[in-house]
Amino acid sequence: MHPLLKTNILLRSIFICLLLFVLSGCWDRVEINDLAIVTGMGIDKTDEGDIELSVQIANPKAMASSGSSSGGQSDGETTVVNTVKGKTIFDARSKLQEGLSRQFFEGHNRVIFISKELAEDGIKKHVDFFARFPSPRLRANVFIVDSKASDILKVPSDFELNSAEVARELAKLKIGLNITTKDLLQQLANESGSIALPIITAEENPTGKKGLRLSGSAIFKKDKMVGQIDSALTRGVLWIRDKIEMSSVTLEPDNTEGYISFELLRSSTELIPTIKDGKWKMIVNITTEDDVVENETNLDILDPKITNKLEKQLERKVKERIQDTLDYVQKELEADIFGFGEAFHHKFPKQWEKEKDKWEEKFPKLEVEIIGEAYIRRPGRSNIPQEEQKKE
Amino acid sequence: MLEKGKISAIQLIILLYPTITATAILVLPATTGSFAKQDMWLSPIWASTFGYLSIFIAYALHKYYPQKTLIEYSEKIVGMIPGKLIGFGFLFFLLHTNGMNLRDYGEFVVGNFLQKTPIIVVVLSMAFVCAITVYGGIEVLARSSQFFFPVFVVLFLFIIVLLIPVLNPKNILPVMGEGLTPSIKGALIPSQWFNEFILISFLLPYLNKKKNAFKWGVLSVSLVMITLVITNLFSLLLFGDITSYFTYPFMDAARYISIADFLQHVELIVMALWVTGMFIKISVFYYAIVLGTAQWLGLTSYRPIVFPIGFLLVVLSIWVTPNLQKLTEFSSTTWPVYAFVFQMFIPVSLLLIAMLRKKKSN
Repeated sequence: MHPLLKTNILLRSIFICLLLFVLSGCWDRVEINDLAIVTGMGIDKTDEGDIELSVQIANPKAMASSGSSSGGQSDGETTVVNTVKGKTIFDARSKLQEGLSRQFFEGHNRVIFISKELAEDGIKKHVDFFARFPSPRLRANVFIVDSKASDILKVPSDFELNSAEVARELAKLKIGLNITTKDLLQQLANESGSIALPIITAEENPTGKKGLRLSGSAIFKKDKMVGQIDSALTRGVLWIRDKIEMSSVTLEPDNTEGYISFELLRSSTELIPTIKDGKWKMIVNITTEDDVVENETNLDILDPKITNKLEKQLERKVKERIQDTLDYVQKELEADIFGFGEAFHHKFPKQWEKEKDKWEEKFPKLEVEIIGEAYIRRPGRSNIPQEEQKKE
Repeated sequence: MLEKGKISAIQLIILLYPTITATAILVLPATTGSFAKQDMWLSPIWASTFGYLSIFIAYALHKYYPQKTLIEYSEKIVGMIPGKLIGFGFLFFLLHTNGMNLRDYGEFVVGNFLQKTPIIVVVLSMAFVCAITVYGGIEVLARSSQFFFPVFVVLFLFIIVLLIPVLNPKNILPVMGEGLTPSIKGALIPSQWFNEFILISFLLPYLNKKKNAFKWGVLSVSLVMITLVITNLFSLLLFGDITSYFTYPFMDAARYISIADFLQHVELIVMALWVTGMFIKISVFYYAIVLGTAQWLGLTSYRPIVFPIGFLLVVLSIWVTPNLQKLTEFSSTTWPVYAFVFQMFIPVSLLLIAMLRKKKSN
């Protein structure tokens, strides 16, 4: 036995009494049924220039009933959306708390919606809260909203529990950009000084129901939104950033009618910066592998010669797409969201150090060469001839 | 001798490794990152030279006075009065630093998890547990760290493995883009963490087999160095340029883990890592202070002063700084210099004087 305990009975009883204090737990005990679990947050700009915070809170009552008794009477929506104005996010959050019987908890918040109006004024100051306050997570996805952020939070969802989850799953598919708070902070710290964030919109489908949809990307210079690009150009950005995972390419082959569709298997992009005699140049090297998934033409795609020709066309098509993106983002918006500056920094740290202040003027004039190789791997599950097939 | 217990060589490593790494893995990536940027993973390698040097000095002094600790032999080397002065300074330094350690511990727990809990409660409960351990003597201390050490290592590896999928290897580029200077600048503050290895001089006299003491010491420095390289590298590969934004990058890295939307929110593991590691760290410092003070005062037992010094540690942890900003500023500006004086300059001077004396007497 420990000498301290052996010595005398009084000391031993005091010791045991002391342990009782430890058993009672701590100050910060919070029961789960006292928490308002935040599933999504949205920030809008008010007319006075302040911010308006909207919070989507999971409604445990509705979630419980929808699980056990399907149909029947429902306890309302699975989420509740509350909105309030404030000077800062935390200021608004405190005001929201006044009307909320449960304590805010952002630990499960997975999505942050920022309205376009606010983004045009600069977003850096609004991101601070999400990186400083203890409970939000850096993994939350960030989206720019064309309309009001609070409206997006209210959109009902068909498959997922709430609209925030829909947005997050959309980002996870990687059809568009998938940017977390951490990625955003990294882009803001980046020396090239430009960022891109996905745009999400609520669109009404023919039945009159609203649904969320990824629609391109917002382009920022420093931390202010300067323009936006559509989905097609966004894919170009994804190609260059080597982030593309799902893509389809449809071609109209020469000397024949109809289209052929390809599905992307995998693709890799390498950015090769070069400096020759003080002239900076970026080579974008793309290797892509595709499968044929649809053939409307009378081409016999089992023929290696035709496949070869198609590969060339596919290559050209991919290059064209990327060129379109470059034309707009590099020449018009002049925003380096491709990581070109970073690539130069990595390969030529010394030259970069000298030129980095001038990068903003240099980037739009930078010569970019796209080289690439496309491979068609498989003709698909069957080969159905359309009329008579052409052979070479 | 005041301490009758004995420890084995393995226990020596188990005591020293968490003593350095516990705070280093959480606090250092941010400070190193702010100086060394993408070369931050190189800094611990440069800094570790100070660790090896500390082990060498402590071992060389130990060879001259095998049964004595730093407090005792400083009197033998420079004489009674100057020796007492050095001893007092050294003990004060340890007390102050351990007060900072205790505060660091409390700040992390309160800042991240128990925001509304008064820091004194967190600090007091830790100091109490450490006091009981130190009261038990070096064997109890070694055995309790032996119990917690595997927990510390397993939890650390758990976090590291789970982080692999979210890393971006490109963040490491350009390697030494601005030459060696940034990574060496980044090594200055960690070097004082490595200098804490001088604490080995309080443990060496109680080693049961002294044959390989130096080898084991070097091994523990190497293990600490590898751990810090991994921590810095992983923080860098995840966060890149923004590593230095975070107060505790490793903590935020753990929060970022999400495997298949299922294995996530594992930051409490970092908390467990921190509590077990800090327990050993604070206890080892605490033990050195108690043993040293008893030797300095010429007491026959160190047990009576364990609780009074524990009380002093708790109040010091509150007095040492009004807020985390001051603590961070102090430990990255004043403390490295202050620590260098006691952990490096004084031991080196003692060693040189001891060598000269030995030569003279021969």
